[in-house]
Amino acid sequence: MNSFAEWLSTTLPSVFIQTHEAWMIPVIQSLHITGIGIAVGSALMITLRLLGWVGTDQTLPDTQRRFGPWLSGALYLLLASGALLIVAEPVRELVTFSFWLKMSCVLAMVVIFAAFQASVRKHGVSWEQTLARRPGVRLAAMLTFVLWGCIIILGRLIAYDHIWGHLSPATKA
Amino acid sequence: MDFPAFLKSLEDSGIARGVRSSLYYFPFLESVHVMALAVLFGTILVVDLRALGLASKQRPFTRMSAELLRFTWGAFIVSALTGSVMFMTNARVYAHNTSFQVKMVLLAIAGLNMAAFHLTAGRSAASWDRAPAAPRAGRITAATSIALWIAVIFAGRVIGFTTTGAQAKEAPTTTVNFDDFLSGGSAPDASAPAAAGSAPAAADHP
Repeated sequence: MNSFAEWLSTTLPSVFIQTHEAWMIPVIQSLHITGIGIAVGSALMITLRLLGWVGTDQTLPDTQRRFGPWLSGALYLLLASGALLIVAEPVRELVTFSFWLKMSCVLAMVVIFAAFQASVRKHGVSWEQTLARRPGVRLAAMLTFVLWGCIIILGRLIAYDHIWGHLSPATKA
Repeated sequence: MDFPAFLKSLEDSGIARGVRSSLYYFPFLESVHVMALAVLFGTILVVDLRALGLASKQRPFTRMSAELLRFTWGAFIVSALTGSVMFMTNARVYAHNTSFQVKMVLLAIAGLNMAAFHLTAGRSAASWDRAPAAPRAGRITAATSIALWIAVIFAGRVIGFTTTGAQAKEAPTTTVNFDDFLSGGSAPDASAPAAAGSAPAAADHP
């Protein structure tokens, strides 16, 4: 990974961003944070509706139809801006413990929401009378808040990867 | 007490010293700040898009805004608290940082914009509650609100890039330019700028 990151940092797109990094990196990072706001906001609306705490004037499938596309749209924005940040600073991003743990959490989040979306499509409005009442499902819904928190913390910790000590590949380099 | 002395006293406070003494507190504060701003911006966007008539058109506006405002204000309080503590750790540097000043002005304008919404479309909300969009004044303030909050995010992010490694001096002229920052800040070893002797809190890569 180290040699891949170092190779990536010599490629043309990477060199281009590096030569303009004074403004490009803050701009890309800000886009990334805006994407986090849209993703967290959409996921919050869906999850709070699932729990019956907010937006009960709308059915769960309607809520999913309203916010699901915003959530996936934000995910694409996050993937695109995140990929640019990797291209810009491959070693800083990829040679960290935080980044890979964050990606594991992101993958788990994507699987959870994809499974939820497929299930809501299959069961429709009956979802609320059945699955949404199960304690396990409600607990899983609440745990997604924790998972979002982990993703955000780990994203920030990419800049502080040395706090992981020997777990951080950067400290070995 | 004059303003520079006040800033210095913030830096000398127990909270600021405690945060500076730890490797973990500052990144943790930043992370909670990002979580709070995600909820803040996310919920504001939902309500503003409703007022603009771009989403959730069929839902009553007053109910949506009342339900979500709790989360918006809760998140605002958390971001204000975490932001204040981060400010205290290096108060003189932040106070003289252009991005920080721009961000505070933008926040003030966002507050005034919110007041403008409440005094215009907000006052008549019952009459357009189920209409697809707010009256013109409401749509203008809603669009302004989205633009302002995105600008707040950008200004906030730039603060980290323009204060990294900066250490307050008694004369409030400290500025660190991008070249200073980029020479040390881009490496994964983010502790490098701390060699300047400044607080670890302010020394990390943004």
